[in-house]
Amino acid sequence: MKRVYICRDTVTGLYSAVYDAWSECRNDGEAGIALKDHIVPELFCEYVETREAEKKALAVEKLIRSHLGEYAYGRLYYASLSYEADKGDAIFGTMRAARKLTDSTRIMDHLTEPSVRRCFELSRNVGNEAHFFKEFLRFRELKSGVLFAKIEPKNQVLTCIAPHFADRLPLENWMIYDKTHGMFVVHEARKKWVLVSDVCADESRFDEFSESEEEIQKLWKGFFHTISIEERESYARQRQHLPIWYRKNMVEFDE
Amino acid sequence: MRIQEEMTMYDKLSILTDAAKYDVACTSSGVDRRGDGTGMGNCEKAGICHSFSADGRCISLLKILFTNECIFDCKYCVNRSSNDVVRTSFTPDEICHLTMEFYRRNYIEGLFLSSGILKSPDYTMELIYSALYKLRHECNFQGYIHVKAIPGASLELVQKVGFLADRMSVNLELPTKESLHLLAPHKSRKNILAPMRMVQNRMKENKQEIAVYRHAPRFVPAGQSTQMIIGATPETDYQIMQVTEGLYKKFGLKRVFYSAFVPVNEDRNLPARTDEGPPLLREHRLYQADWLLRYYHFEVSELLSEENPNFNVLMDPKCNWAIQHLEVFPVEINRADYKLLLRVPGIGYRSAERIVKARRLGVIGFEDLKKMGVVLKRALYFITCSGKMMYPTKIDQDYITRNILNVKERLPDSVRDMGYRQLSLFDDVRFGGMEFLGK
Repeated sequence: MKRVYICRDTVTGLYSAVYDAWSECRNDGEAGIALKDHIVPELFCEYVETREAEKKALAVEKLIRSHLGEYAYGRLYYASLSYEADKGDAIFGTMRAARKLTDSTRIMDHLTEPSVRRCFELSRNVGNEAHFFKEFLRFRELKSGVLFAKIEPKNQVLTCIAPHFADRLPLENWMIYDKTHGMFVVHEARKKWVLVSDVCADESRFDEFSESEEEIQKLWKGFFHTISIEERESYARQRQHLPIWYRKNMVEFDE
Repeated sequence: MRIQEEMTMYDKLSILTDAAKYDVACTSSGVDRRGDGTGMGNCEKAGICHSFSADGRCISLLKILFTNECIFDCKYCVNRSSNDVVRTSFTPDEICHLTMEFYRRNYIEGLFLSSGILKSPDYTMELIYSALYKLRHECNFQGYIHVKAIPGASLELVQKVGFLADRMSVNLELPTKESLHLLAPHKSRKNILAPMRMVQNRMKENKQEIAVYRHAPRFVPAGQSTQMIIGATPETDYQIMQVTEGLYKKFGLKRVFYSAFVPVNEDRNLPARTDEGPPLLREHRLYQADWLLRYYHFEVSELLSEENPNFNVLMDPKCNWAIQHLEVFPVEINRADYKLLLRVPGIGYRSAERIVKARRLGVIGFEDLKKMGVVLKRALYFITCSGKMMYPTKIDQDYITRNILNVKERLPDSVRDMGYRQLSLFDDVRFGGMEFLGK
């Protein structure tokens, strides 16, 4: 009978479920992975709750890295951050499919295999969204001098964009708040960034800006409007490249 | 000339942005550089757009002029010396302040610095150098810098600036010598090509220096680009594309940009003002062909000729080529050579790469192609999977042309808005239907 492993929607949870499914050596189609709040009950199926453990997750990580290679590891990690509920199945399916190849590191090229195709799709979607936020995220300077940005992504992109900003702004204190998932990335000047989740934040403190902030925002808005060429104006084209969905926390689209 | 003493930062920025906006190149691509941990900034190879202005163009760099004062009198330019506009200049400090403050808030990817010509080309180039020096060495800015080389400035100065910038460009302005002479009397082809050649040679030498000394300073690591104004002079697409091809092959340019002519001045040498707006479709076709040259191994002589010197208005250049060369098709997806796959309409260079990799591991069908990003409604006339076509179709010029024109090309909206559009019963095309009903 098919057995479905249930886990929380975190990378550790997901990889723990993969660990259980993998170690019980189930055949194709006899194991599935479902996220806790997104279970669609099926007939002829038993459901097992996964016991989450850091150790299991690390073991799976090591397995993927050593057998599927760094490239596939990156793609699977991105897929695991997706908001889609079938990501567990896709990742597990990809790992199973890799066993059948003579060279498992080629697995992400095997796009004719459905679960690989799905992983490719998911990781591309996460990667694209992460890239959007590298572009459209806006920092505002708080009274304390800390740069603060708020984003509302669909996927859990924080860990994808944090290294980019840490490399770019090493001497600044900054933080990015993912409102959708209630997570923060906090970076202290000259130190490594950290991911903070499950905290309650007093959002009103993020509205107290430094003195120069308003002036700089005004300059930027002025620049943004002047740079457009009137004879070429096309709001549809602007929307095509910069969907309204992403404009929520952007300075130049504030009213 | 109007002279104003005190001007706020906001006014200055407005004036010098407004004067710089007609420059097209706003890309921040071509160089990958990690930060070294002591300053601010890094660069990503693919480039990053940070916003899109109301005309749908990307904003990647803080695009400003150092000054809009100018001793030259180019007919098409807002800043020409015979125009009566408010003139102002930044100081190097102001440029650094703006760049740093915008950059740390993630508004921009770096600085695009161009300039009118103040006093003399050399004097202007010196000013630009001092601003960039301050930005790089005092503010420790490691983001992207795109700088214009001023035509006529001494090559030594241009070279000094090149060590501070990531990309340099000298604008070709107009495709032919005659047009340049007519519209930009103070510029000469020689003054434009000399710095271009110098940058090319210096980049080559620099590659060797870096091979020997890993930490040798980098000279224009993101390469050089140029731009041409389209539609102000009577050149054909064929002439323009030939110039482009020459620039890529002989000068090793990274990009050539095209700028649809926007009339800002009245002049008897310029085309009369019309209601049509800038030639955006033409500009779009040129960019499409430009991509075919750079990524798809096409040659200009395959796309255009003396007898057929302009691009098809109705169809993109790649499709147009395919329909003229049906003897090559259909192409078998599971076997065809990579370069041949690139020539199929609807297959981009990324999906061609995916196809080549995936077919080593399994047989590709039409369903797989769709997921790989191939646009089947265009490709289906030209391909087979395992010997079968997707639908029974004729390999016939008229038939394919008719069918491809039926599925509308995805033009950028700005282009689509300009031309004709299909009428539908429920459209209110400014017929004022509502007043009619007494509303």
